[in-house]
Amino acid sequence: MRPDDRKYTKAHEWVLLDGDVALFGITDFAVEELCNGNEGDLVYCDLPEEGRTLEAGETFGEIESVKAVADLNAPIGGVVLETNEAIEEHLEILSTDPFKKGWMVKIKPNNKNLDGLLTAGEYEAYVAEKAH
Amino acid sequence: MGLDEALLEAPAPDPDEGAEAGAPPVTVRFYSWSPDTLSLGYFQRLVDVPPAAAFLGIEAPGVGPDTPLPSVVVRRLTGGGAIHHQGELTFSITTSLEHPLYRGHVEGSYERVHAAIASALAEAGVMSSPRAERTPASEAEGTGMCFHHSSPVDLIWNERKGVGSAQRRKGGRVLHHGSIKLSTTELETGVATVAGFASPGALAPLLRAAFERHFDVRLEPSVPTAAELEHAKAREAFFGSDEFLRRR
Repeated sequence: MRPDDRKYTKAHEWVLLDGDVALFGITDFAVEELCNGNEGDLVYCDLPEEGRTLEAGETFGEIESVKAVADLNAPIGGVVLETNEAIEEHLEILSTDPFKKGWMVKIKPNNKNLDGLLTAGEYEAYVAEKAH
Repeated sequence: MGLDEALLEAPAPDPDEGAEAGAPPVTVRFYSWSPDTLSLGYFQRLVDVPPAAAFLGIEAPGVGPDTPLPSVVVRRLTGGGAIHHQGELTFSITTSLEHPLYRGHVEGSYERVHAAIASALAEAGVMSSPRAERTPASEAEGTGMCFHHSSPVDLIWNERKGVGSAQRRKGGRVLHHGSIKLSTTELETGVATVAGFASPGALAPLLRAAFERHFDVRLEPSVPTAAELEHAKAREAFFGSDEFLRRR
């Protein structure tokens, strides 16, 4: 079971509210789609500059595996406060710990309403359906 | 490239407007390039591709007065290494990530597409197979070229890489680029080629038929919509612009 302290998107991003800030990341399912178990297959991750304003659903970055580039989309809107620089040097973090050390972006949200996003249970059901 | 972007960003068919139920539609484009063009992978740094650096007058390892230059340099939307598009058939596949061809992990989607390409190549007398754990003779360090670097799912023949390929996944859709060489180029020495075809376009019917067989689709000849053409026109200069090329 994936962490139930956050919400998820059908594009396999997660968002975790923590007081006045929110963290974004991607799920283990997203990483697995790109790498198929080969954590060395992730080669590059481009994250936004601090201060950038993101709209919900807007592309905030891109990630490249050996054979594909995929967009990263903001689950909610807000202003970028910080990005996880450790990822750019150690992409394997996304494979080993996508829900904690693998956070990508910290934002000041302009809206803390996560009602339109998936709960952990709903996301589990969604990816289970995709796997068939 | 602008047209491929338009196809990648195309809205999903609306069932209320007569879209058919079942697997999402697949669009395949076949094209070649004039003049010859060097395309960079989306994330490539200019200094990692000496001919691109030389083209833009940037000092980089391997760049010198004798560095061969393409006529044009662009950056692709898809990842991977640089390709010198000369004497080559290029194809793009765009569809939803919900299509069975692209559901699941990226590696599996390459296996399915490459199985179709291998089938087409066999009809052209070329017996190709996935690289797996072999090391092709076409591998070369430091060129930044797609055909000089391979992964286990890449197709090889004569112990050399023969199909360049890369994907972009965006908004629930995928753009898959592929390149097959009829001849080597000054920037892509030692790679596998397909002989016996007068022009790149002559290879397209074999690929089309193989895609139909393997993807379980019927590909109808078509032309871009007015909206797609408008998008391509608006983005025509972007992919070769200084802004985009020097982004890395």
